[in-house]
Amino acid sequence: MATVKFVADYEVEPCIGCKLCDIVCPSGAIRMEARKPIIDDALCIGCGRCVDRCPEDIMWMKEREVPLAVTVLPEEVDQAAVAALLEKAGIEASVSICVCTLTPGSEIAGAIVKGAKNLEEVCAMTGMRSGCGIYCVAPALRLLEAAGCDMTPPGQHRWYPSTLSLYDLSDEVCAKYPDAFIAEDRALFDPDQKYGPLHKENV
Amino acid sequence: MNALTALKPPAFMHSDYGPALQPHVAETLDDMVSVPLTDFFPDFAPAITSGDPALLEADLERVRAETRASLASVDMSGISADDSVNILASEHGFGLMGGWPYAEMIKTIREVVMERTGCRKIHLRLAIYRGFREADEVAEHFGFNEVFEGRVKGLGPFDQGVEVDTAVGPMYLIKRAFDSAKFIHAYYDDPREMYFNRLLYKSFKSFCMSYARYETRSVYHSMFGNRSGSVIPRALFDSEFIQQRYTFSSVLRTTPMGVIGVDATTDLYAIDRRITKGHLETYGRMQRLFAEIKDCVAIWDGGRWGYYLHGGGLIFGTLLTNHSDAFDLDQPVVAGFMQSPTAPVNFSRNKSLRGVVVNQAWVGAGIPYVTMPFTSPMYIVGEEQAKMWREDPTNPLLMDRAKVVDSLEQGITMACEKGQTDKLIVFDGSYGHLTCSQSMADLLKERAPAVDKLVAEELLPKWLAQRGLS
Repeated sequence: MATVKFVADYEVEPCIGCKLCDIVCPSGAIRMEARKPIIDDALCIGCGRCVDRCPEDIMWMKEREVPLAVTVLPEEVDQAAVAALLEKAGIEASVSICVCTLTPGSEIAGAIVKGAKNLEEVCAMTGMRSGCGIYCVAPALRLLEAAGCDMTPPGQHRWYPSTLSLYDLSDEVCAKYPDAFIAEDRALFDPDQKYGPLHKENV
Repeated sequence: MNALTALKPPAFMHSDYGPALQPHVAETLDDMVSVPLTDFFPDFAPAITSGDPALLEADLERVRAETRASLASVDMSGISADDSVNILASEHGFGLMGGWPYAEMIKTIREVVMERTGCRKIHLRLAIYRGFREADEVAEHFGFNEVFEGRVKGLGPFDQGVEVDTAVGPMYLIKRAFDSAKFIHAYYDDPREMYFNRLLYKSFKSFCMSYARYETRSVYHSMFGNRSGSVIPRALFDSEFIQQRYTFSSVLRTTPMGVIGVDATTDLYAIDRRITKGHLETYGRMQRLFAEIKDCVAIWDGGRWGYYLHGGGLIFGTLLTNHSDAFDLDQPVVAGFMQSPTAPVNFSRNKSLRGVVVNQAWVGAGIPYVTMPFTSPMYIVGEEQAKMWREDPTNPLLMDRAKVVDSLEQGITMACEKGQTDKLIVFDGSYGHLTCSQSMADLLKERAPAVDKLVAEELLPKWLAQRGLS
């Protein structure tokens, strides 16, 4: 769960309509209309990236009157479906996928089971990426891929479909990099081999 | 402060990502000491840099000379006069000793390449962590805009990517890093978060971090263990895309004492072997010495992210995670986002760390210490800093637990009382010496000989053998 205390705002008149705030928004909270950003407060997860990116320095974060609790609760979704999705993707339920908000794998999977179809919707539903916005992306994309979601990257380099995991490496790669502890780490992270053999198509 | 043995910590760059610069702890508190690292390990060779801000120009002259000497034997035939070349720099180099030695190496690379090849179109690409304004700050502070005649641009994880085919599958680098025909890997060898990279091909890490989109960074850190992750940067470096553009590497070499030289060659694998061996011998000793600390309060006192501030040449993160030996590759997990279901590790839970006092540090690098205040009480000096932390989205939970104090002295008093310790260790950017309390100095001096023996006779041979470097 993420508690979102801030929301983005900006000064309309000097805005040059460059769209950079829209491009870097992780949760789809910003859309452009008539070359001005429209901010959906309900979707803003308070990451502040738009403020930092604004070349005109006319955006800021304002404190919400009431913090926004963003979460997908276990009782909201079919937990059997969540477990199946996690296993298919090779993601542990309890691991913090977003290490800024400490959102676990089970909640990310829960958002997808609940209906999230892309990375932006996962972020808006869980608050994931409201911090650094970096390290949680690949596991979340992998879960979306495992759920059969469209992995065609959206325009303007919002994200690219990168989902590689330790469990995907081929025998050829293992042979090429024999000192990379690939087999040892596989045994460590998947002692029961529940995530299967190496190739992604088998996951 | 014991001024007779003190070297002043480096001066810092002002940043929008940090508070107004404060006087250093070393300048504020009378009862702190500054211990030369040779008091712990007499065999540590002197650095070419003094670390004294008053002697900065002389230090930089030696860095220039070392860079020129190392570049003299580098094959630059891959660069023609008509080429355009990017020098790729990474942000943490500007956190080493105030950043000036790294900046000087970069400027000297440009000079030498122009002299040797006749190439004039040499661009600087400054890789940054997260903040879009970091690169502009660095370019201005170190005078890069003038030196590179405006050919300077920043690049960050959210910038447009370029897909690269690698042995492990497609990865995404930052397009702007490779918008010239050729590039030079201008790096530094700070081991930094050794608990992640484990000193396994650390010299390649930029290829999956600084030069890479956030998706690739996420794959490296979150989808692999901290040993097997070493396959990602190497697969990128070995890719056709990189090899077609790569010219040579120039790496600022350090030990905990400071800068020891520059290592430049086309063979990055050879550089990496030399760096790894040197690091295990020197940083390995300091890391194990820090592991002897069983109770302490740490003070953040620098102009970078607290986690990456140096004390005695090691970053604070090393202290936080030294309950495991990061260099021992038999230890499967030291820290990492990918967790073993049978042996999970919380890498911000070191029971020896009884508290953290933040005199000054940037906000914004949330990952390492999101949960730290839950186990190690934090004390933020001054309301200005506290406001920055409250508004920092990367640390949404920190100020729920951290306390705001009026002064450094108050924070230290409260932290020591709460933590039942009188041992203070300061991360103020220092190399060559350690700023600490007398009690901490006494402890480390007492333990150092045994650590030295342990490393020399047991650990170092094992670490080297694990990496094929015996």
